[in-house]
Amino acid sequence: MAKLIEEIEAQIAGAKTTAKQNVGVIREVGDGVAKIDGLSDAMLNEMIDLGHGVTGLALNLDATEVGVVVLGDYTQLKQGDEVRTTGKVLQVPVGKGLLGRVVNVLGEPVDGKGPIKYDKTYPVEKTAPGIIRRRSVDQPVQTGIMAIDAMIPIGRGQRELIIGDRATGKTTICIDTIISQARLNKAAETAGDKGYRQLYCIYVAIGQKESTIARFIAALEAAGAMPYTIIVAATASESAANQYLVPFAGAAMGEWFMDNGMDALIVYDDLSKQAVAYRQVSLLLKRPSGREAFPGDVFYLHSRLLERAARVGEKYGNGSLTAMPIIETQAGDVSAYIPTNVISITDGQIFLETDLFYQGQRPAINVGISVSRVGSAAQLKAMKQVAGHLKGELAQFRELAAFAQFGSDLDAKTQAQIDRGKRIMEIFKQGQYNPIPVEVQVLVIWTAQNGYLDQVPVARVKEFQNKLTEYFTTRKGELLARIGKEKAISDVLKADLKAAADEFKQTWK
Amino acid sequence: MKITKQAKREAKQLYRLCVVKGLLDENRVRQVVPRVVATGGRDCPSILAHFLRLVKLDCAEHTATIESATPLPADLQTVVQTELTHRYGPGLTTVFAQRPELIGGMRIQVGCDVYDGSVRAGLEALAKSF
Repeated sequence: MAKLIEEIEAQIAGAKTTAKQNVGVIREVGDGVAKIDGLSDAMLNEMIDLGHGVTGLALNLDATEVGVVVLGDYTQLKQGDEVRTTGKVLQVPVGKGLLGRVVNVLGEPVDGKGPIKYDKTYPVEKTAPGIIRRRSVDQPVQTGIMAIDAMIPIGRGQRELIIGDRATGKTTICIDTIISQARLNKAAETAGDKGYRQLYCIYVAIGQKESTIARFIAALEAAGAMPYTIIVAATASESAANQYLVPFAGAAMGEWFMDNGMDALIVYDDLSKQAVAYRQVSLLLKRPSGREAFPGDVFYLHSRLLERAARVGEKYGNGSLTAMPIIETQAGDVSAYIPTNVISITDGQIFLETDLFYQGQRPAINVGISVSRVGSAAQLKAMKQVAGHLKGELAQFRELAAFAQFGSDLDAKTQAQIDRGKRIMEIFKQGQYNPIPVEVQVLVIWTAQNGYLDQVPVARVKEFQNKLTEYFTTRKGELLARIGKEKAISDVLKADLKAAADEFKQTWK
Repeated sequence: MKITKQAKREAKQLYRLCVVKGLLDENRVRQVVPRVVATGGRDCPSILAHFLRLVKLDCAEHTATIESATPLPADLQTVVQTELTHRYGPGLTTVFAQRPELIGGMRIQVGCDVYDGSVRAGLEALAKSF
């Protein structure tokens, strides 16, 4: 009986409503922004209860008014409505329960698969891990894209920018990477490999068409990648505030994996649209505008977001959050305001070119100006052995090929370099949603570097590559497994590879 | 009406001139308005509009509205008034109002601060918790 009385007393205490509340009145509302008189206790980024089940986010705190962006249907709100502070900053649910789901900026499901199970929430705005907590990048992210894994390797915890004009395959690279992670995760699960650190993926769609997102979901589902992926979407039909906040919501979900000793990859598709949404919100809030009408803190917008990607030390869980932001350029202009900002923040960039795309070089990566500043430390030793000089060789090839355009006679050595370059460019062509395992990548590059492709006509290089892959996968599987296991090409392995490649060469017609 | 930054600045200056020892001086406010009207400047309406807003906000900040379902007894009114003056300082105007929909209890609003101890608020909180 005493316990029952205690319980009732506790409930009554919880139901007390005399606590002080801070209220305000809507002075004006429109375009997803509300100006509120009062709310003297409002905090920056605090959630404001606007009534009618609509929430707002306090972004401007002035002496006499508070500027709030509305995260919902602002048409229900009207002048004179009473609003109140909640004492909470914007938070989203986090955890493994979100895997395989499509959610909105508030972490609410939009895929019709029912409610999401979660027991923890994270604030969307969170300070990035500090210097002490971080450690350098030393584990690879296998994207499954040969040109990237060989020449622009990405490490876990890195921030690698994907930049290019519209329709050059920026998103495809990211989707391929997600599919590749799912395959690796699944393979490790099947093999019972407990040493493999699974990499979970978060795809943040900012201001994209709903049909495009539906297509990506279908591609990920077809590849069996959805169980390892979270999709956070603020589509083109949603308010600018949602589009500005959605990358932060995605980052919070990714941080949970990092904080719990797991690895995650987050794709922001794309930050140009986020910057435009932020400009819209800032202009509506009457914040002073700067270059290209962007507010003065647009650099900070991206830097604070991307700084949240990190590899933390073993003492702090050994987790990581890898970021792949996407930036869309206009007519290849990488010197515009937002592209230069993001280039300077990230640890490297993969530059995609329209010309290469239409020449049939897909993925259309311009190897010359694409870099990875920290990823080489994480690259597989076997890949480093075969692809170490590839970037330089291709640079030489481009130079020589440009020179050869004048039709002058070339010496045998130069001609051989050009021929080798053409074949290497050919092997880097890859179909979409078809990531290649790293062992196969090492094998193909090894054969190219060891002259096995030199006698193959350029037009048939791809055919040779496919047959070679098929031959090794079906007949010499143990050699591929050894590459993956040993992670380096020893002299013994080299001899075995040579014997197998010679055997294949004899059958090739 | 579009109120320019200059007009806002000038209105704020006028408002500050009307504040004496942290409280708005009604006489000064009464003097300011005809003076501004007399100048007949182009910004005059917008300055006065913003000035009015600042005065309204000040009034709201120094007004305590005490609502209850039934009229409060005089002794309770005195207690509430004393407590509020103690908490918010002198110069606080108290307004007592009747609101039957509160069912019971009291709701006090001083500027942006609301102390809602009404039965209605309790029921709403209970409904939200389910």
